[in-house]
Order: sequence, then C-alpha cells, then structure tokens
Amino acid sequence: MSRTAHTTASKPTASAAKAHPVKRTVDMQIIAGWVEPGSRVLDLGCGRGVLLEYLAQTKRVHAVGVDLDFDKISACVRRGLTAYQGDMMALMRALPENHFDRVICSRTLEELPDPGAIIEQALRIGKNVTVGFVNHGYWKNRAAAFFLGRKPQNAVYTTAWFESRPSNPASIADFEDFCSLRQLRIARSAHLLGDWKSPCPLAPNLLAGYALYDLTR
Amino acid sequence: MNDADAEPPFPARSEPGEVGLVEPRDFVSNAPFTFDNGLAIPGFTLRYETYGHLNAARDNAVLICHALSGDHHCAGIHSLTDKKPGWWNNLIGPGKAVDTNKFFVLCANVLGGCQGSTGPSSLDPRTGRPYGITFPAVTIRDMVRSQKLWLDSLGITSLYAAIGGSMGGMQVLQWAIEYPSFVKRALAMATTAREGAQAIAFNEVGRQAILQDPEWNHGYYPKGGGPRVGLAIARMMAHITYLSDASMDRKFGRKAVRPRSSAADTPAAAPAAIDSMEGLDAVAPAATFDVRFEVESYLRYQGRSFINRFDANSYLYITRALDQFDLAAAHGSLEQAFSGVQAATLVVGFTSDWLFPPEQNRAIALALLRAGKRVSYAELATDLGHDSFLLESPQLYELVRGFLT
Repeated sequence: MSRTAHTTASKPTASAAKAHPVKRTVDMQIIAGWVEPGSRVLDLGCGRGVLLEYLAQTKRVHAVGVDLDFDKISACVRRGLTAYQGDMMALMRALPENHFDRVICSRTLEELPDPGAIIEQALRIGKNVTVGFVNHGYWKNRAAAFFLGRKPQNAVYTTAWFESRPSNPASIADFEDFCSLRQLRIARSAHLLGDWKSPCPLAPNLLAGYALYDLTR
Repeated sequence: MNDADAEPPFPARSEPGEVGLVEPRDFVSNAPFTFDNGLAIPGFTLRYETYGHLNAARDNAVLICHALSGDHHCAGIHSLTDKKPGWWNNLIGPGKAVDTNKFFVLCANVLGGCQGSTGPSSLDPRTGRPYGITFPAVTIRDMVRSQKLWLDSLGITSLYAAIGGSMGGMQVLQWAIEYPSFVKRALAMATTAREGAQAIAFNEVGRQAILQDPEWNHGYYPKGGGPRVGLAIARMMAHITYLSDASMDRKFGRKAVRPRSSAADTPAAAPAAIDSMEGLDAVAPAATFDVRFEVESYLRYQGRSFINRFDANSYLYITRALDQFDLAAAHGSLEQAFSGVQAATLVVGFTSDWLFPPEQNRAIALALLRAGKRVSYAELATDLGHDSFLLESPQLYELVRGFLT
C-alpha cells in the first residue's frame, strides 16, 4: 500500500502495493500479533486505512490514522476509521505523553525527513512504537549497486528511480545502530526474506528484505 | 411536505435526484424560553423544512444547521418558478451525499433569525410591537436548545447526524456538547470553536454600519424599513470575507462595467438598479464614484438583495452570537468542553478559508483527539474561501457520504 509521507506532491499510484498483496498480508499479521486487543493505536502515514481496518477488525483497536492526502482520509472515514489530515509531527506534538498504546510507522519511515525525530516523538506519545521498513542492506540491493552500479530495483524496491518518491533508506544494521545510540529498547523484531513472507533465520542485514521492530523507551 | 411524500422511497442506489417542491412548517412553543443570559420570552416559533421520511426506528434523522445569513430552506424549491433551490441543494437530495432516500433531513431557521423563526423583528405578544432590541441576546447554545425542543416535539429521539458549516458548524459542536447521547455523528465544516480577532473585527464593522445608519433608530423601525444602507454595506463587506482573493480575481478580475451613459442605449427596462445603490443612499454618488468594476456591481447586488430578505436587528443579534461563541472559555478549555462528547465527529477545513481558517478547524479536531474522542479531520484544497463548504465538490460529497455510511 502506498504510504503517504511528508510530501504534498500528488502521489504515484499504489501499483507496487497492488502488485504484491501477499506481502502486505504477512506484514499486517505480524503487526497485529504485537498489538494488544482493544488498545489505542496511531498509524503514521495511514494511507487508505487498510492496516488500521485490519487491526480494528482483528484486535478491536481504537484506531487513529494520520496522512497528508484528502482522498486517503476520506477513504479511512468511509471505512469507519478516524483519521487526521495533516503533518504527522505537528499532530504528535499536539498530543500528550502516552496518549496511544502504540504508534505504528509501517513503510513510511524511509520517506520522512529526520526519522530519528519522528521516532522520538512517537515514543513520547506512544508506549510502543512499531517500525516496518525495507532493508537497504538486502543482498540484492547491494548487488545492484556493487555489480551493476544501479539504483536497486527488485522485489523490495519495486519502482525505477524516476517514478520513486524521495527516500532515505536504512539497513537493518543502520536501524539497530540507531536504536543503541538512542538507547531504545527493542522489545521484538521480525525479519522477512525477499519474498516478504518467509522468516529470515540468519544474517538478516544481508538476507532479509523487510524488517519489523517493536520499540519501547 | 415534499415530493417524496407522495411516492414510496426511491431505491437507495438511484441516480441523484432532486428533493423537489417543499413547504416550510412552523414549530410553535407556547412555553416560556429562557435565554443563556437569564431573560425569557413567552414562547417562540421555529420555521423549518424536512425532506425524506423518519423511519420506524426513528434513528435516521439528520439535522442541518445553517450559517449567519442562511435559513431553513436548505434543499428543494418552494415553487416551480423558483430560480434557485435551497442553499445546500447540491448536498441534500435523493441519492446525494446527504441522501433523502435514507435520511429524514431537517433544518430550522435559528432563534433570533428573521426567516419565520422568532427574532427581533417578531411581535412581542406582551406589547403587540416588534421586540426590536428588547429581544434577549441570543447565543449559539440558545439556538441549539430551542431546536432540541422542536425535535422533541417531532418525536425524534436521536440524531443520526448533525451537519453544518460556519455558524452551522458551531451549532453542531454545541449540539454534541449539550446533548451527547442524542447526537450520534457530528459534521462541522469551515467553523471555529472561538472566533479570532479578525472575524470579530469584521462583524463589528458590519454592526457599526447598521448602528450608525440613522434609520436604525435604536432598533425601532417599521417592517421593510430600517437601516437599509447600513445593512447593505454590512453584507457587502461580509460577503468579501466569504470569498477569496483568487476566487474574486477569477470571477471578476478588473473587468469593467459599461459606463452609465451607455445605459441610455439599452431598453428602459434594463436593470440599471442592479449596478446602483439607488433607493439606498440618501446622497446620490458623484459620477466619479459610480460603479466601474464588476466586483463593485456584484457587491452592490449582494447588498441590495440581502436587505430584501434580512432584518438588520437579526444581523446584529446573530453576529453577536457568533462573536460570543467560545467553547474554551465556556468550559475552561476546549478539551473540557468536549469531555462528554459521544458523537463520532468529522471536522472539515478549507485551505483558502481566511475567515475561519484551517488552523481553527484543526484545533477543534486536536482538542477532541486529546479528549480521547472519535474524530477525523480533513482539509480540502480549494480557492473559494470560507464559502467553500457550499462548493460543488465530488471529493467533499464522497467524504460526507462516507461519514454518513
């Protein structure tokens, strides 16, 4: 699903997400497994509310989404979800500590400026922060850069550079370094192979295509 | 009551149609009504219209709340020769976003108004003369409380939704606060929980235009008379605040109207009066300051048509109600104001609204969020200014339809 981030430009279509519905399913199942039933959840870059609707149905969460795009908010409202149109940082700054049980930042982080500040804010207003992102260290990404001298385009990076949104990619190693630097506790994590559904048993920074982390203060 | 009364309801998926012919009705309360300020009137009337049917479960009533210069006639037509339908006809009707096949839609002229509901131009039964400025100061909450009595009289036990823009949005918020279990959904657009200094300032200039008109005469003037120039000027200025720089530029630019002298070439019946303040101003303007630009002509037309349908004292009372409305002050904070709200709320701001700007709409949504309520906020990019909520926008229709699903 196309995740709206910090840009007001009109978004490319969600073709990548539509082409890989299976990927979305496992991702959502893992997140749902971490979510406490009946908890208060904020989804940063909620898009059309697919994840929140799933969480509302499976976990009866009190869901709030935030996105920049009117039509995405409209789609959330149609799904019976509550969603706020605007800048996610401005929204989070306007909310008190621990307002949510969980803040989810799924497939959004790499498109945001200053992701460290986003996570810091998310950890202030949420007791847990769930982050899901494409692993830039995935071997196919490395190979594309090293052997081909190209911007990676493969199962995890589905679009060519000229149809991609601005992005600030991170590897699993980058992310774990960040967590230790900021002394963020990793409560749980999940690493998926390049197919985005099979668990990655070893060397995730090399072999995982997608990573999910559950952080606490 | 309306077209639909004569026929069974249309299937829900029919093409959008029209509400058709409608007739206003009156709710008459003979019990004394006490205003927020403690003053009372012996009874009151609210003029209203309804479209669609109340279902057996009585849970499909949708209340429309109108803005400062609006009225109860929000959809349909009163006669086949009507040039214009009700003010929100684009939103309300069979198959439209507020679908009269599904919902029983109601709208009443506010207390203090002048379109058939009791206001300063109504006769005080105690004196047999118009209330004038002896009419108690009316608040948004007074408007809402009087509407509750009306809905009670119709046997309506809950509102599926309350919907309104601008002052209508204020009423919607007040409804959700005042009658939390009664209102299931609240949709407030282009509104504010408290006006900023700029909005108060504009209202004050409008009021002064009326108050300084000698014809105002301390509020005592015959029906149809009164401070027509003052009211027209108030309306002209207020109308600017409902538009935007971009929309006025697109509509009028610097387009000039034909000079006055050429009016002689046109047939005698030519509506020269549209371009002039004739009959309004005591002193005819010098030719130098005759209307030159289309925007001037347009505003003069707005002023002229307004004085034929609006009472100056009502304008004073209602703008005062707008300015006094302050949910934060009334409850200590906006979060406290919303603490009891049970309705699922949707707030819609419009990017080019500089009267009740997006930030003030967002502030409502954020306060509701902080209070732990179910609230969505959407902001439509338009360049039509405050009146954007009346816009024919498929995006807005989709949002409203989705919220009411």
